[in-house]
Amino acid sequence: MQSNPFNLRRAIILIGRLVLGGIFAYAGYAKLFLPNFIFWPLFALRFSLSTNLANFAVQVESYNLLSHTGVSFVVHTLPFAEIILGLLLLIGWRFRIWATIVTLIMLGFFAAVVHSYALGMQINCGCFATPEPLTIKTVLRDGALVALALLMTIFAFIEARKPHPWSAREKV
Amino acid sequence: MDDYVTSGKVYLIHRDFPLAMHAHSRVAARYARAAAQLGKVESVEQALFVNQEKWEQTGDIDGTVAAVLSAAEMAKVRALVKGGTLDAAIDKDFALGQTYRVNQTPTTVFHCKGQTYPYAGVMSYDMLKQFLDQLLSQ
Repeated sequence: MQSNPFNLRRAIILIGRLVLGGIFAYAGYAKLFLPNFIFWPLFALRFSLSTNLANFAVQVESYNLLSHTGVSFVVHTLPFAEIILGLLLLIGWRFRIWATIVTLIMLGFFAAVVHSYALGMQINCGCFATPEPLTIKTVLRDGALVALALLMTIFAFIEARKPHPWSAREKV
Repeated sequence: MDDYVTSGKVYLIHRDFPLAMHAHSRVAARYARAAAQLGKVESVEQALFVNQEKWEQTGDIDGTVAAVLSAAEMAKVRALVKGGTLDAAIDKDFALGQTYRVNQTPTTVFHCKGQTYPYAGVMSYDMLKQFLDQLLSQ
């Protein structure tokens, strides 16, 4: 059965790629380069990166979910992973793999946010480096993004089973 | 402080920037300013920072400060806080912070040889030491 190029599933996949890819890439960039970004001299740039990651570490620690080693691992890998995954989603290469990984990461974020909100913790979200209190708006926003990620990934696997509309044989 | 301020390599100025999202921050700033006039700013600030989570919830800054000052000192601090003369200095600091686009605390603004380097957020002593050494060696 030929797959319609303009069906709802493909639209959601495209929206998911653009929205989640953009958000992930920006989130990684923000953690590395915000709020401090003095690019010259070089030692000032290094200090900018160090202070930004130190701020991010404080936010990760405030969730009280990871050990000191765990926090250090997340702080030194997550921003780079977010940038790379965001760009891979936007490019669309090997899409299902990266969509699955992004969805799993989003589920992890959402679990941490819901857990902290349920405990009434007065902390910053830590999503985009700048101070952002964890409120019900954060929970709802993250929930919507998780839903989008899940739909995007599930639909990607469904659509992958169908022939691509541009490669399907024309009816005679 | 010992490595850089006492030795005269760095001049440190503390400025207040009470944020609206922290309900009792301005009151805390008044108490710290009042303590500074008595030469007791270090012990009072230490007490305020260590017990921040507690007084943020209860608003009991007076009790927090009283725990580290004598009765006579506390009386003078209370008089200064009630006098209303401290807000002008706090407002001046706040206005200065806005010129540097400060939007979170702590924010540290380094001035060295005509250059200004504002940095928001926390920094470990090792990071700070490295940065100061490089700034001073320029």
